[in-house]
Amino acid sequence: MLSYLLNRLITAAGLALFATLVVFLIASLVPGDPILAVLGDLAASKPEIVAEYRARWGLDLPLWQQYLIFLQRLFQGDLGISISTGRPVLTDIAQYAPATVELGTIAFGLSLLIGIPLGIMAAIWRDSWVDHAARFISLVGVSSPVFWLAFIALTVFYGWLQIAPGPGRLDPIDFPPASMTGFFLIDTLLAGQWDTFKTALAHLVLPSLVLCAATLGLITRMTRASMLETLGQDYVRVAHAKGMKHRAVIISHALPNALIPVITLAGLAYANLLTGTIMTETIFSWPGLGRYTFRSALSLDLPAIMGMTLIFAIVYLIINLLVDLSYAIVDPRVLKR
Amino acid sequence: MKHVNGKPVAMRRRVLKLIGMGGAAATGAWPGMNLSAQTRNATLVIGLDISDAGAITPDPARMNFYTPPLTTRTVYETLITLAPGDYQTLRPLLAREWDRTPDGQGFRFKLRDNVKFVSGAPLTAEDVKFSLDRLVNVKDQPSAYADNLGRVAVVDPLTVDIFPKSVDLPLLTILTAPSCGIYEKKIALANGASAAEDAKTADKAAQWFGTTSIGTGPYKLVTWERNVQITMVRNPHYWNGTPGFERVVIRHLGDGGAQLLALKRGDIDVAFNLSPEQLASIANAPDLAIAAEPTFDYLYFAITSSPELNPVLAKKEARQAIAWALDYDGIRDALFGGVGVRPASFIPYGIGGSSKAFVEGARYALNPAKAKEMLAKAGVPDGFEFEMAYGTAAMAGASFPVIAQKMQSDLAKVGIKAVLKPMDYANLRTVYYQGKASSVVLSWNLNAVEPWLWGSAAVDRVAKRVHWNVPQEARTALSQAAAERDKPKQDQLYQNFQKTLIDQANLIVLLQPVYRVAYRKRIKDFRLTGAGWMAEIGMAKPA
Repeated sequence: MLSYLLNRLITAAGLALFATLVVFLIASLVPGDPILAVLGDLAASKPEIVAEYRARWGLDLPLWQQYLIFLQRLFQGDLGISISTGRPVLTDIAQYAPATVELGTIAFGLSLLIGIPLGIMAAIWRDSWVDHAARFISLVGVSSPVFWLAFIALTVFYGWLQIAPGPGRLDPIDFPPASMTGFFLIDTLLAGQWDTFKTALAHLVLPSLVLCAATLGLITRMTRASMLETLGQDYVRVAHAKGMKHRAVIISHALPNALIPVITLAGLAYANLLTGTIMTETIFSWPGLGRYTFRSALSLDLPAIMGMTLIFAIVYLIINLLVDLSYAIVDPRVLKR
Repeated sequence: MKHVNGKPVAMRRRVLKLIGMGGAAATGAWPGMNLSAQTRNATLVIGLDISDAGAITPDPARMNFYTPPLTTRTVYETLITLAPGDYQTLRPLLAREWDRTPDGQGFRFKLRDNVKFVSGAPLTAEDVKFSLDRLVNVKDQPSAYADNLGRVAVVDPLTVDIFPKSVDLPLLTILTAPSCGIYEKKIALANGASAAEDAKTADKAAQWFGTTSIGTGPYKLVTWERNVQITMVRNPHYWNGTPGFERVVIRHLGDGGAQLLALKRGDIDVAFNLSPEQLASIANAPDLAIAAEPTFDYLYFAITSSPELNPVLAKKEARQAIAWALDYDGIRDALFGGVGVRPASFIPYGIGGSSKAFVEGARYALNPAKAKEMLAKAGVPDGFEFEMAYGTAAMAGASFPVIAQKMQSDLAKVGIKAVLKPMDYANLRTVYYQGKASSVVLSWNLNAVEPWLWGSAAVDRVAKRVHWNVPQEARTALSQAAAERDKPKQDQLYQNFQKTLIDQANLIVLLQPVYRVAYRKRIKDFRLTGAGWMAEIGMAKPA
């Protein structure tokens, strides 16, 4: 088990580094010049200011040397300085990541809490109204563009009904809690700011529901399909024939087997929620990683892009590893293989 | 029954329970519930997209465009300033009067004796010298515009002399720019700032300036969170009356639709980024008003004269044909809500001889017959093809892709085929600055209200990008205009200079929009300004 884990971790680190090399090469081949993007019109026409900025970010060095410097810094735990924010990339990531993780995790939790039971029920009561309702919810969730859903949610619940708070993590007049973890829900509780906690929670409701919609649809459909397949297996019929209670057959025999593909999907969906929430973050003015990445890409901010690539690669690899490990829990045979 | 925004709260709770919304909202955690109405009333909340590439720091010596000047100018004041609507008259701010120095080589400023910094310390000439020296010596972006700012000499604690590097080039108008804001030397030094010759490397205060402010402005910066929020609090020592609000919050709302919702809800008091359609939708709202102010920013079209990029565009007549074929009024009416003015050329309407009479006689207008005539003169009577590059952003609520499509359809009517080349910002600037674009639709932002800055940009920088080999007469006309002290004569010289630009047709200014901002009537005296810092936040008060 330990050697398996070690093996996986080393491969993961190698893959993450390879991803940064690919992104570095792509970003370096784009004709755009990050320095011209960040400088004003007049400053960009002054060769000494341009040269100074270039030197500051090592852009005057040969490509291979730039990448080596990136690697060298990386092993010292330094991702360099962002060109467009002028701050260490790690500081930027530390500032923006909690907002995304908080939102993504709540959205993910919601989609599991609703999606799995809904999928199971849809499978058990196939072609009943429950199944039809589940299909409708999934269809709407999967097929509605997120930006559209986000804006509609904001218009209806914030604009018309006035029961949800507006964009952002807090109201404009709230001061954010002292940053301990960066997660507002946790920080407000640690600081004993009960009112701010409620505001932060209320601000999470709409964006997490919107984000949850697409994932929810996928998980419901996958749970249903996988459950149906499992319910048709011989061992399930045997269990029924032996006279086991219907509920027991479903929970202890069918469900664990049916969950394996759902876990794979859920892992990918969670990684997706942590890395690809740009539209939701934009419409809800959510200061997260998605928007940070988007803006960094637009301004060709190489250090930030490299840092985010690394982080995203690590997120995917860790989640994949967790998914693989969780197979072992759901299905002990995996370990023996 | 408790009311929020005039709607009964119990009613909302019932609706909420009915539709089964989550527990968080049902516990009463929506905006305004847990904060006293008093706090909200004493806070001015501005909704603004602060995700622009330049929004990095409010440090006067290092700031860039587009949104930072709004904050910088609210927390730091300059020696002299310009009032909204009148950009010709220099007005006293930290300086109560100024005149030429006895030797005639510079300007002598007498400071007010009642000005204090947010720390409570009085303003002195030493602070002025430190701030301006640092601007020049740090050699970051704003120093480029302060090129003509030379020696600063302290005469006595309330008198300071400032000398231009060249007496023939302007200085006073440039001193009104937010980057010439004055701050407290002692505190800046204690936090790593340097104004010495080697400040470029010795200054270590770049990050620190993003955490607080040490100026004399009506408000003091307390947080600058990129892409999230900027918070300022009232300066208790402000010299010019009590500022209207206890707190000013600039809230990042990247989307015009979200800004409109927040404005209607009362979560924000001012919405900066509404499209002309969104503004039209609230024209009759009883509790909302629209502030408008012509600006010196403009939308322009740069056309190359490089034969390698496009042999037809290298001919002046072909470029003139493009200029005669564009429907300028149509662009204004359809895409900018019908508001905006159009200057004759690269110097905006309202300054540097760009008077109504001159502009109307000199500028291009829609004239398809003339466009055809020019095409024939260029040897392409049936039209030609060229590439038109543009970014994905918007100006005054009008998006560049839509503007480019409108121009494309105008040009098609006379047989000119524009091939659209949408680009992201970084690539667009790169190809344009390196002179590799056939034509580009772009916006130009104001740096300081000084016609010479636009003129020199046209012949020094932009000319290179469009491969225009500027004749010496044009350069001479510009430097004569800059040096001329007699206003009517100066206007005449600037007009002559602009005529060269118009004939050359490398730079066609399409529109100088009127910026419009919606605000709640619970605030008053919310004035926009065209002078380069968007709005006079210090003037706003609760109604």
